[in-house]
Amino acid sequence: MTPLEILVAAATGRPAPRIPIFCNLLDQGARELGLHAKEYFQSGAQVADAQLRMLRRYGHDNVWCLHYVGKEAELLGCREILFADDGAPNVADFVIKSWDDIAKLEIPADITQHPAWQSIAECLAQLHDEVGATHPICAYVTASTTLPAILMGMDKWMELFLLGPHDLRDELLRKCSDFFRQQIAALRAAGANVLVYSTPFGSPYFVGKDKVKNSVLPWMQRDLQPGGTADVVYYCGMAPFNEVIDLVFDELDIKTHYISPLDDLAEAKRLVNTRGLTCGVIDDIKMIRWTEQETRAEVKRIIDIGKPGGHFLFGTGVMPLAIPEANIRAMLAAAFEYGRLA
Amino acid sequence: MLESYIQSYNEAVFETDKQAALEVVNQALSEGLSPEDVVFKLVIPAVEAMMARIEKDPDSNLAQHFMTAQIAAEVTERMLEKFSRPPQVIGRVVIGAAHGDLHSLGKRIVIGCLKSMMVEVSDLGVNVGAEQFVDTAVAEGAQVIAVSSLMVHTAIGDNGARRVRALLRERGLEGRIKLAVGGAPYRFDPELYTRVGADAWAPDGVTAAKVIVQLIHEVKL
Repeated sequence: MTPLEILVAAATGRPAPRIPIFCNLLDQGARELGLHAKEYFQSGAQVADAQLRMLRRYGHDNVWCLHYVGKEAELLGCREILFADDGAPNVADFVIKSWDDIAKLEIPADITQHPAWQSIAECLAQLHDEVGATHPICAYVTASTTLPAILMGMDKWMELFLLGPHDLRDELLRKCSDFFRQQIAALRAAGANVLVYSTPFGSPYFVGKDKVKNSVLPWMQRDLQPGGTADVVYYCGMAPFNEVIDLVFDELDIKTHYISPLDDLAEAKRLVNTRGLTCGVIDDIKMIRWTEQETRAEVKRIIDIGKPGGHFLFGTGVMPLAIPEANIRAMLAAAFEYGRLA
Repeated sequence: MLESYIQSYNEAVFETDKQAALEVVNQALSEGLSPEDVVFKLVIPAVEAMMARIEKDPDSNLAQHFMTAQIAAEVTERMLEKFSRPPQVIGRVVIGAAHGDLHSLGKRIVIGCLKSMMVEVSDLGVNVGAEQFVDTAVAEGAQVIAVSSLMVHTAIGDNGARRVRALLRERGLEGRIKLAVGGAPYRFDPELYTRVGADAWAPDGVTAAKVIVQLIHEVKL
């Protein structure tokens, strides 16, 4: 079976030789090609090339079309990204500096014509050509309720979200939701087949369960309504969300849940059960200091919890660059070993 | 009566209802509490009660932490203008986001709580170099340097907390200035703070204020 078939089998409960194994190697791409981060991210072909090289080297199941989260801000007018050679790029120029900027914020009529989109298109085209028929191609889309954080800063957004002015907040959310709808459609059209819906405000850890239900959910429904959710992964930026798994099933019909390492995986598995796919995620920040044996033991612990009954995927967070190569290999070797199915 | 104010105030904060919290403060003032009483007998005990609540209730959320800090800081600032004499400051802290890090939410929560607890705070902003942390702490006689990092590479990077620790050691300042760290990477690996040479860490901004006050007391002993 191909990795894509294995993923579909896990999601639907059909037989497969093993569980799907996702390894999110994003910032490692520049190192893979021996480039500085800024130079690396300028070209979609380079990002695709690095993903494919790492796929061949490690043998995991997925590739990524994700340059950096700030790419979305660039599509909306951000003019400066702070690159680092030892980690993820930061947004260094907030598009929204004052309330007045919310009215001025313009969503491009067609983001695929935007200069910042071209490297995404280039990357997806190459990935689609080379492994689109066999492998999951992941793309990252920030929810409308979280996107303002990269446009104005998380503290300013939290303030506006909680305290208002509420008409201004809703105007911004409408624009962000319109952008989201356009972006997810463009990513699908370009060949992404796993859409990671990044929605930290959909986590009770951010705003509490009641606010998720009453204030965030309607916007998530608006975001996702046009294209459906069959290929969507619920992901709260590594924040816990077990408390809202039922809500996400009932109100959004998202069946794939990328569980936080801070959540109780056994509880998540019980909640998701055979309704969808539970993704057990390793705490890869600890992998920086773990030995290979400790890494293997943690992979075993996660898979022992998740594998019985099927409907399970093993995955990583965003894999900090400081993780030793030996631990990446130990993690994947253990995942393939313990993830075998009878 | 005070306990009822504290309870009503904290319920409002826990519901992230700023208006209701400010109404409790206004009611307390109209019923005879002095501005000093509002800060020392209502706001500070309420922040401390929130710290205790967060400790017992790991499911408290970021919005609650944010509102705790924002409301406490706003009320304290308003009341300070009306104090009959300046309050006694319990210590000084220099705070900022680590070199390469442009995130400020966690730092803002810590600052709000510290200000309400009569700690003077120098906010150096974001993307702050290690030298600037140490130089400012020395110039201002701060007892604590607090370094916030939302990303792994800024938490463990060579110009972050590790470099602050190295400078404190090189300059013989370790007995006079303590180092606290916070931010998401430390929540995912609670041992990380020792690896970057910090004296303490906290899993959230409100608790961080408590930890920093403890460090101030340690230095002053």
